[in-house]
Amino acid sequence: MPLFDAFAISGSGLYTYRKWMDALSDNIANMDTVVGTNQNAFQERFVQAQAANVKGSGGGVRVASVQLGDAAGRLRHDPSNPLADAQGYVKAPDMDLSDQMTNLILAQRGYQANLAAIDRAKQAYTQALSLGK
Amino acid sequence: MAIGAIGTSTPIQPIEFPKLGGAGGAGKAEGTKNFGDQLSGAIDNLQQTQAKSDDLATQVATGKLTNIHDYMIAANQTEIATQLTVAVRNKAVDAFNQIMNMQV
Repeated sequence: MPLFDAFAISGSGLYTYRKWMDALSDNIANMDTVVGTNQNAFQERFVQAQAANVKGSGGGVRVASVQLGDAAGRLRHDPSNPLADAQGYVKAPDMDLSDQMTNLILAQRGYQANLAAIDRAKQAYTQALSLGK
Repeated sequence: MAIGAIGTSTPIQPIEFPKLGGAGGAGKAEGTKNFGDQLSGAIDNLQQTQAKSDDLATQVATGKLTNIHDYMIAANQTEIATQLTVAVRNKAVDAFNQIMNMQV
């Protein structure tokens, strides 16, 4: 419905940022997930955004794909770990908690910005309806 | 030196006025539709919007809602669409009453 294009477009933004927060949560949850050196390490999740035409509005964004980081991971010396190989190494994911937290702030602010856009549109429409009262 | 005649190679194009388009625009002037049709069309649209909102509310209650904002957007759309339809109806009734109260 053309009347609610602003809502549809900002809604697609909300969805995309929510997906980014989901990916970051996954990364943070698996920050210390280690595997044996003969296996693939947990791969960092990256959300790839793409401009889209949401509900025929001519605008909006969508999640094009979720890209995965390096499966080689980082070798960590931890001989007491039951998964450690003969040299005492395990494979940790190739990512940093500080990066994830920074991105989480960006995702949160992006989500809030889209909510603000919807709220402003709603305020504007409501004010238009009160014209002449 | 010969001076060429003023050419008429580019005839004047008629101006095309943009049309008010789109569905759900209650109260728009289309010329062919009367006000009653427009209002009932707007109410049909409103009903659809409310049905979508109700559907999402059910999803909230049954724990099937995946996006919180989906429901909030639908609820806000319904609220504004309802306000718009009520405003159009009120204006129409006002106009009707003014004509009915006219002294003859």
